[in-house]
Amino acid sequence: MGLFDSLRSALGFGAEADATREADPEDLFGMSTAYLTMEADLDFAPVGAAALCFSSVDSTDFAGAVDDVEAILRAGEEDTGTTFRRHEDDHGYHWVVLEDSDPEDLVTSVHFAADTFVERGYGSRLLAAVFGFERPRDDRRAYWVYSFRRGAYYPFVPTGDHERDNGSEFKLASVLDGELDVEDDERYWYPLWPDRPGGHPWE
Amino acid sequence: MEWKPDWGLRGRMVLTMFLLFALYIVFVAVLSRFVGLFGIVIVLGLFSLGQFFFSDRLALYSMGASRVDADEYPKLHATIGRLCQQADLPKPDVAVADTRVPNAFAAGRSQKHSTVCVTRGLLDVLDEDELEGVLAHELAHVKNRDVMVMTIASFLSTIAFMIVRWGWLFGGGRNRQGGGGVVVAVLVSLVVWIVSFVLIRALSRYREYAADRGGAAITGNPTALASALLTISGRMDRVPQEDLREQSEMNAFFVIPIRSGFVGRVFSTHPPTERRVERLREMAAEMERR
Repeated sequence: MGLFDSLRSALGFGAEADATREADPEDLFGMSTAYLTMEADLDFAPVGAAALCFSSVDSTDFAGAVDDVEAILRAGEEDTGTTFRRHEDDHGYHWVVLEDSDPEDLVTSVHFAADTFVERGYGSRLLAAVFGFERPRDDRRAYWVYSFRRGAYYPFVPTGDHERDNGSEFKLASVLDGELDVEDDERYWYPLWPDRPGGHPWE
Repeated sequence: MEWKPDWGLRGRMVLTMFLLFALYIVFVAVLSRFVGLFGIVIVLGLFSLGQFFFSDRLALYSMGASRVDADEYPKLHATIGRLCQQADLPKPDVAVADTRVPNAFAAGRSQKHSTVCVTRGLLDVLDEDELEGVLAHELAHVKNRDVMVMTIASFLSTIAFMIVRWGWLFGGGRNRQGGGGVVVAVLVSLVVWIVSFVLIRALSRYREYAADRGGAAITGNPTALASALLTISGRMDRVPQEDLREQSEMNAFFVIPIRSGFVGRVFSTHPPTERRVERLREMAAEMERR
């Protein structure tokens, strides 16, 4: 893996390969048990929302894929009660934001949406799936980010405006390591800063 | 300690010390045929005494540290005092080294004569809990009498090393007159030195783990020390501040962020920090379950 990466970047195919790497939506199911661990071991309760971040393509085919995703989520809404909305952030990235008090349903819906993008051949447009948590005792928010580029999870604990709490992030990573495929190179733990302080990245 | 001791760790420690001791016996037996037992004992004795009584002064001197009293660093003194109460230790001297490198060590020949030293850098980068974790780790070294243990353990390699140098000075070379014995002694002591070096490193690693456990037992907060270790090792600084979305835009046109060296990735080893953090995590989990 490391060897290939080095060779790829040496030959100049790195960016290309990274952007076309096959995302595996199955990894998202790891979050179901992670939700339990987060609450039991770390007092982080689900915020009742998760989101999928993707970049748009200016084509009718891609618009069709997004319509498919929406149709699937609308069908799911009747089943599970998971509501969804679309959102475009200040960076020009698009989000499918899902809300449900049952984390299990959130994971299922995020997986459905991501899987549909992949099926339609737009897996490379997926940037990240983000799952939100909050801790009542200190109002601290934490996120688990699944990077479709890296095929791994990493923690993100924003504090205040463009500050992050590395101590808590390392703690989250060590507690959930093994349960989730945690990104072991912390140089890839890129933040997803909310558009306004105190908000979620998808708001 | 209120949770189950790590018997695997203790077993390995006993074995290592036993091997060191066995090696020592063999070494003395072989060497005494050439130099005479009396000479060895004298040299060993002088060295050990020197190390024993001056180790703390030497360590402080080499770090450029000086002792500080309670009105200079009231908080540091108060924290160490409280931790000592918890650990049932007499309060050690406190020293501060004026360097930006975050580090701490304990020195001294016994629980009564010990010094805990921290650097300015450590006080700057760690928060209160993390600092407590590090100080408790150092006090655990004092509690475990690690200075004495490591001093005794390093006699052998020190002496062996001296014999090697001494052997080269008076023995080796081309015009040997009945110097064959010396050459053998030199070879033996070289081998002994290498083996004992490896063993001492292993022993020192085990003492480090033991001090991690002891320190965590004192504070009751293993994750604070884990977080301090990550901060000190600079891994915290590697977490990026730049937004994933910005970075992805860039990546469409430029090469991926700089990777660690090619060789480093192929022969990637787990630095001890990671293992220590791992074990501290396990301890935290044990505490949770109680």
